[in-house]
Amino acid sequence: MKIVTIIILSIAISLISSVAVAGDQKAAESAIAAAEQSRKKAASVDGEWRDTGKMIKKAQAAMKDGKFDKAIKIANFAERQGQYGYEQAVSQKTLTMPSYLK
Amino acid sequence: MNNLMIKLMLICMVSMVTATVYADPEKDKQLLTDFFKARFAGVPLQEFANGSYAYDTIGRASWEAIEEFPPYEIAVDEGEAMWETPFANGKSYQDCFPDGPAIGHKYPHWDDKQGKVVTMALAINQCREANGEKPLKYKKGSINNILSYVSFLSRGKKTQVVIPENNKDAMAAYEDGKKFFFTRRGQLNFSCATCHIQNAGMKIRSEVLSPALGQTTHFPVYRSKWGAVGTLHRRFTGCNKQVRAKPFKAQGEQYRNLEYFLTYMSNGLELNGPGARK
Repeated sequence: MKIVTIIILSIAISLISSVAVAGDQKAAESAIAAAEQSRKKAASVDGEWRDTGKMIKKAQAAMKDGKFDKAIKIANFAERQGQYGYEQAVSQKTLTMPSYLK
Repeated sequence: MNNLMIKLMLICMVSMVTATVYADPEKDKQLLTDFFKARFAGVPLQEFANGSYAYDTIGRASWEAIEEFPPYEIAVDEGEAMWETPFANGKSYQDCFPDGPAIGHKYPHWDDKQGKVVTMALAINQCREANGEKPLKYKKGSINNILSYVSFLSRGKKTQVVIPENNKDAMAAYEDGKKFFFTRRGQLNFSCATCHIQNAGMKIRSEVLSPALGQTTHFPVYRSKWGAVGTLHRRFTGCNKQVRAKPFKAQGEQYRNLEYFLTYMSNGLELNGPGARK
């Protein structure tokens, strides 16, 4: 009877953890997709920063290694870089000559 | 009366905005020249073709010593061999560039047929492709040999970039290059002008920043850091990376237009490439 309980518990735990892993992976995939979209948006206005693409690759590698928290953290950072790059480029859409040259 | 005043004010405002957007290239050049003349009083104009060595006396002493045995000499010799060697179809660079090889001062220029700025490097590859040869890479490698040879034989000729009159597309390319130069980019939020106008003469770590004036006269350049001769667009790439912006494609529209603007700013300065830099 004890053995049966242990087996049932083990199966339950592994099921729960696999569901959790799948959830984490989905969250990482979603964060990476958002980062990539943000990078592309910045690139569309020539505002992409140097390291954004590299960060996304790092996030993908971390996800591949099962390090989902790390992947999400890096991807979120990359997403913010994309946003800043886009805003930086759009804010200068019209050329303004610097004051020291006027 | 009030309506008339408002209309007049609006017209004035619109014309001011238009004047800002479509500046006169010659006025831009004069503004830049005056800026550097004021900042580096006593430095003769042609000296700016030597980059930061126009005012960095210690760097200049090292550079002059390097120039006694120019590190780009091999590239010039190999470039001459490339120029003299016929393509597989029997034609050569001379057929593409009848006035060559001393034609550095004719580039970059606006090409109406192609509807874009054509640089020397682009023209070389167009020549190669038209003759069934593979194009050369735009940053490293043997393109620097042929560019060094052309540049060496063009020494003494004056930079004379022309923006054809009443040509909206050519002016747009110039304006695009100008906008690129003054646009802050990358994680460090620097524009080209931040380093090469606003802070020219100041130091970044151990390096003295060069002036925007004369920056194109001495390319291609042998850089000790590279251990080889490299193109102007390779340098653009490096600058963009240094401010943590993603660089653009060498000989892509952005960098060709930037070269168009930047070279125009050096109009009147003698070509003195290839150069040697740290």
